[in-house]
Parts: sequence; C-alpha cells; structure tokens
Amino acid sequence: MQAWLAPKYLMWLWQGFGVTVWLAFTTALAATAAGFVLAIARNARLGAVRGAAAAYVVAFRNTPLLVQLFFWYFGAATLLPDSVMQWLNAPHAVQLAVFSVRWPSFEFVAGWVGLTCYSTAFIAEEFRAGLRGVPAAQHHAAAALGLTPLQAFRFVVLPQAVRISIPPLFGQYMNIVKNSSLTMAIGLAELSYASRQVETETFKTFAAFGIATVLYIGAVAVIEATAHTVTHARARSFARR
Amino acid sequence: MKFKTLAAWVLGLMVTVSGVAHADRLDDIKKAGVLRVATFDSNPPFGFVDPKSNHIVGLDVDYAKAIADRLGVKLELQPTNPANRIPFLTSQKVDLVLANFTITDERAKQVDFSIPYFSSGQQFLAKKGVLKSPEQLDNLRVGADKGTTNEITLREKFPKATIVAYDDTPFAFAALRTGNVQAITQDGPKLVALLANVPDKQNYEIPPFTISNDYMGVGIPKGETRLTAFVNDTLKGLEADGSAAKIYDRWFGPQSKAPLPRLFKIGDKT
Repeated sequence: MQAWLAPKYLMWLWQGFGVTVWLAFTTALAATAAGFVLAIARNARLGAVRGAAAAYVVAFRNTPLLVQLFFWYFGAATLLPDSVMQWLNAPHAVQLAVFSVRWPSFEFVAGWVGLTCYSTAFIAEEFRAGLRGVPAAQHHAAAALGLTPLQAFRFVVLPQAVRISIPPLFGQYMNIVKNSSLTMAIGLAELSYASRQVETETFKTFAAFGIATVLYIGAVAVIEATAHTVTHARARSFARR
Repeated sequence: MKFKTLAAWVLGLMVTVSGVAHADRLDDIKKAGVLRVATFDSNPPFGFVDPKSNHIVGLDVDYAKAIADRLGVKLELQPTNPANRIPFLTSQKVDLVLANFTITDERAKQVDFSIPYFSSGQQFLAKKGVLKSPEQLDNLRVGADKGTTNEITLREKFPKATIVAYDDTPFAFAALRTGNVQAITQDGPKLVALLANVPDKQNYEIPPFTISNDYMGVGIPKGETRLTAFVNDTLKGLEADGSAAKIYDRWFGPQSKAPLPRLFKIGDKT
C-alpha cells in the first residue's frame, strides 16, 4: 500500500481547506456584527423589537443547521425567480486593479447565509450574557457620574461586557469552523467534501480523513491561540489602568 | 485396489486434460439437446420472475432463447446472483451466462466473452433543450452522486465542467429542479427510472449520448472457441434481421416502463 496521497489530492484537500477557512472567516465577521445588533435588540425599549429578536433566536437556535442549509439551498432557491437563480449560478467576476474578484458559487452563498443566520443566534446570546454579566451598580454609578445612557453603555458597560463575552465568543468561532463541514451536503467543495472526494478516488481512507482532521484541528487551534492572546492582552491592558 | 484407484485418477485426469485441449461444448450441447444458461431472477428488466407466469423473463432471457432456438435445442434457465456467475461457468454447471454480465479485463482472465449485446452508459438528465452535445458539458454545472464512478469519469473527461456532488440522486435532482445545476449524471437506466416517477417529466429529457460505457456480453467457458464463434454469429444475425432491436424495444422501447433510446447496436464494438 502506498501510504501517501498524490500531490493532486493534497491540492484538493488544501483548496477545500481554503474554502472552509474563507467560509468560516466571512461567517464569523457577519455573525459577530449581526449578533451584536441582535443582542442590543433583545434589550431594546420597544417591546416589538425585543419580541422579534427573541423569536429569531428561538427559530434559528432550535432547528438543526442541516435543515436550515437545505432550506437556503433548495427551498429559498425555488422562491427566487428563474432569472435570479440563473444569475446566482453563473460565474461573475469584477476586475479590481490587479485582482479579479469572483462572485462565489451559489453553494457558497447559500452556505454562508445559512451558517451566518445560525451562528448569529448563538453569538447574540453570548453578547447578551456579557451585557447581563455587567452588574447593575455599574449602570447606576455611570449615571451618578453624569454620563448619558449612551455614554454609560459605550464607556462603562460595553468594555466589561466584551471582556466577559470574548472567551465564549471564540468558542462560537470554533463551532463555525466545525459547522462549516455540514455545507458539504449542499455541494460546497469545502474540506469535508474534498476529503470524501479524495477518499472516493484513492481509497486511502485513513490519509484522506486524517489530513482533513489535522487541518480542522489546526484551524481550531489557531482560533484558540488567538483567544488566549486577546484575553491576556486585554487583561494586561486592564491591569495597567 | 490401490493401483486401480491410481489408474482411475490418471485416466480421469487425462480425460479432463484432453477435455480442455479439445473442448467442444458446442457438440455436447447439441448432443444433450439442452442449453443451460444462467440468468438473473430479480434484476428487471434483464432477468426477473414474471409474477403472472412465474417464469423468468427479461432481456437476457430473450437473448438466451434466441441462441437456443438457433442451436435447435431446449433452453434450461439457471437462476444466479452476481457472485455465482463465474463459478457456474468454471464448474461447468451452465453453458452460458447471460446475466447483465459486464465485460471486464479481470473477468476475461477466467471466462470468455462474446461480443457485447447490450451497453449501459453514463448519461445526463437536463431540462429540455439545455444539453444537446457532450461538448456543452464544459460550460455547465453538473450534479453528480458523491462517491460514484460517474463523478470521477465526468471530471476526467470534462475537466472544465463544474461538478457539484450531492449525497444521492434525489438531492441532485432537487438541485436540477431548482436550477442550481443544469444537468445531473448517472447511468442511463437509473436516470430513466428516476424520470419515470417525476410529475412534470415532460420538462426533462435524457440527451441521446453517453460519455462512458459498460458493455455486457455472454459469458462463455474459457477456451470454447467454436461455441464463442457460434454465439457471436447468432448475435450478429439477430442484429441483422432486426430481432435484436425487437428484443430491446420489448424492455426499453417507447412503450416500456423505462424507455431508453437504443444507442448501442450489436457489432458496434467487438
């Protein structure tokens, strides 16, 4: 038995890894922004906004991600007009100076939308937990110092809330990396998809899935290291004050 | 006694060896008046038990019948499963195997094959008018089943095609319906079966070309050159007088349950 994979198959895995990283990264960015807004909406003064935000969290946190992905890829696609679907499925490129920016495949778009909507609900809950973790006395003290509610939120509550939220937030980023593997079901050629494809062609099961596992572990380890660095840097900067 | 046993062994061995050397199953069959053929009994439409008559019928059976008729002998069917096809031949339990028997180099080491009489190929299913020729595949998004040889063949032959692999054929078909892919690929007979259950099947078509083919031939014991020649001549004769087309139409024709255009004719490949 030849123990190792041909360079062609390693390239497949590497490209798949690239898609996984890019999908997880763009999802993390979008879900963090959306989750932050959602967390604030959950504390809004308007009851309707609060209710809508709570309903969103219930809907997206309590349904399986796989079903959501199928919904975006197969279900939402049937609701869109044919011309839109044709546009989404055709390749598009924009020339920006030296770079050619390619519109991603519909599989990527559907995967990104699905993963973002799902992760947003979890990240919003992490932020909310962070906000609630700031004692009420801090709000009162800020008010007593003459800060407006917005100032109190920006300068007193938010820095503490972010500090509480960061470790679980990075945990969610790790989940995004791992959850991205489900997009293989809608045909997105990410790492899991690539490893299965390599396995099919080479029958080197151990090598194909082994390499994929190592790459996932690597990606998650990088996130963990980043989380460690960020929390320690923040702890030091707080200590200096 | 011991010597006698040994003598019997030697004699037996000699008979066997000479039997191999001057194999002539064709004469044996004619002498016996029976052609023993192994067919499938649960693989429609190639060989299956007809619930009405309780007899094995099918495309393979029709060909077996035609060969027996040409020999002027009775046909005796032996039901088999895929794994038993070669053992039946090598152990001389049957004279021929007609059981959707794909010709491969590996099998050809153990048994001989006639010229192919049936071919099943990798085909495509697309919305009407989208796919006319194989060259178009390079510019299309094509859905395939994960882990199938179809996916591998398509990638090898059309490297520029965008291949999206799904967990199974129904998923691939769902993607075709929603327009995520413009065509899906599978073996022709499987696509026909899939299309048969689709409510709006008039919107779809299976373009009449294949990008790879499996050829099915008659399995014949190794070294039976006269029998092989006879089977080949019979198959060519069936094609020439139109019987082969009639047999095909009975199982895959427009009126059948699984209509599939006949792209392969006996003699196209030898």
